[in-house]
Amino acid sequence: MTVEILDPIAKQADTTMPPKVSIENLAFFYGESKALKNISLPLHDRKVTAFIGPSGCGKSTLLRILNRIYEMYPKQRAEGKVVVDGLNILDKGTDLNMLRAKIGMVFQKPTPFPMSIYENIAFGVRLYERLGKEEMDERVESALRKAALWEEVKNKLHSSGLGLSGGQQQRLCIARTVAVRPEIILLDEPCSALDPISTAKIEELIDELKDDYTIAIVTHNMQQAARTSDFTAFMYLGELIEFGETKQIFTHPGKQQTQDYITGRFG
Amino acid sequence: MVDLYSRRRMANRIVVSLSIGAALLGITWLVLILGQLLLEGFGALSLAVFTEMTPPPGSTGGLRNAIFGTAVMTSIAILLGTPIGILAGTYLAEYGRESKLAMVVRFINDVLLSAPSIVIGLFIYEMMVIHMGHFSAWAGAVALAVIVIPVVLRTTEDMLNLVPTGLREAATALGAPRYFVIRRVAYKAARNGIVTGILLAVARISGETAPLLFTALNNQFWSTDLNAPMANLPVVIFQFALSPYEDWRRLAWVGALLITMAILAVNIGARALAGRKAS
Repeated sequence: MTVEILDPIAKQADTTMPPKVSIENLAFFYGESKALKNISLPLHDRKVTAFIGPSGCGKSTLLRILNRIYEMYPKQRAEGKVVVDGLNILDKGTDLNMLRAKIGMVFQKPTPFPMSIYENIAFGVRLYERLGKEEMDERVESALRKAALWEEVKNKLHSSGLGLSGGQQQRLCIARTVAVRPEIILLDEPCSALDPISTAKIEELIDELKDDYTIAIVTHNMQQAARTSDFTAFMYLGELIEFGETKQIFTHPGKQQTQDYITGRFG
Repeated sequence: MVDLYSRRRMANRIVVSLSIGAALLGITWLVLILGQLLLEGFGALSLAVFTEMTPPPGSTGGLRNAIFGTAVMTSIAILLGTPIGILAGTYLAEYGRESKLAMVVRFINDVLLSAPSIVIGLFIYEMMVIHMGHFSAWAGAVALAVIVIPVVLRTTEDMLNLVPTGLREAATALGAPRYFVIRRVAYKAARNGIVTGILLAVARISGETAPLLFTALNNQFWSTDLNAPMANLPVVIFQFALSPYEDWRRLAWVGALLITMAILAVNIGARALAGRKAS
């Protein structure tokens, strides 16, 4: 039922509103080897776009271009265009720190900083805003609430973030990303190190977050892509095979390769 | 089948016995040295050691000026050498990595790490003592600092390399500039290891004799002047232990005991810190 109601809204976003992110003819190189070829697709505003495909197909690589985190490594480079709100972020003049404040990222492995839970969240906020103690307390609380972690940690905000369980650590990382108030959130296999209960919590979270954020999620879990996303991109060997509404991709995929992959017949 | 297995068990037994034997042989010398040191050192230990100056032969005295000198020169050497070592180690681990300059610095540092300390003493003698015209505590401290730098540099680089890339990526992905990621995240994660490196450097230099012979020399009297020669435990031990005077030799044992105990304490501290990191 819900799918029926959501569907027209997704269609409407597709046609009437300009996409939040528009990827155009994107290619990516690790040194000499080409990891992505000729990728073009939109990320729609306040929608979840899932990237699926076998290991090594380039989906994480694609995600790492969107906040230009690959720039940390000198031999990696991207060609083409990634237009966010009308500006090509691959341009030389782009302020990388501001870009990353606007486009947050959560990684595969939980990466809490070696400091308290509170400080983990305040860390990113302090980079761009000067908040008083009370405002900061509120920001930390609201971020933890959004990440569905507040109830579990409210009495130990000042103990180390390293003491949390894996699932809690990952939600802490999501809270940390949300606290900076980005517009886009990139999730790189956020549940692959988590148990089913923590995974379910994070999926619920993604569902709530998409009211406010444009989300791109890389996942190996087909059900997760089907459950959480509005749009799905299937990639294979560095190329985008198919992109479309999740419902369509999972029920009537246009290409045989997509069909084979989602039904588990991929060889 | 059974024959093969029993032969393997036999070989295992022989190798284990040899290993245990070798380990015991190694520890034996340490125990003998420490035993001798404790026996001779504690026998001559008294309050006067800490309150009186190094005596002329035949009269009573202590090691107060030498203890003070060693503490002062070690501290100055650590203050001079640690920042350079940490900054250079940070360059190698965070910025230079595989660049030509980094390779060269890394290689030279490895050479410096194993350079005989007497060569470093001679170098500072040429560079400072000759130009100043006299021995001084400054020259001693600088010579010790030259020994501190490669130790701290290496541990800093190693410890920063152990910080997971994921942590740096996560901080960078929040929009943190590089220096901020290093200062607030990488240093924090590597802190215990870096402090351990500094403690090991303290342990290393507090017993060095050769670099001080050519630089700080020695001083029979109480002196806090950094531009003058300064007494220090290693050189006092060297001088007193080789002397024919019984009371000097006893003081040399006490000095050796003090240095050994201090180094032991520092090492245990370093161990404790490193252990805390692992847990």
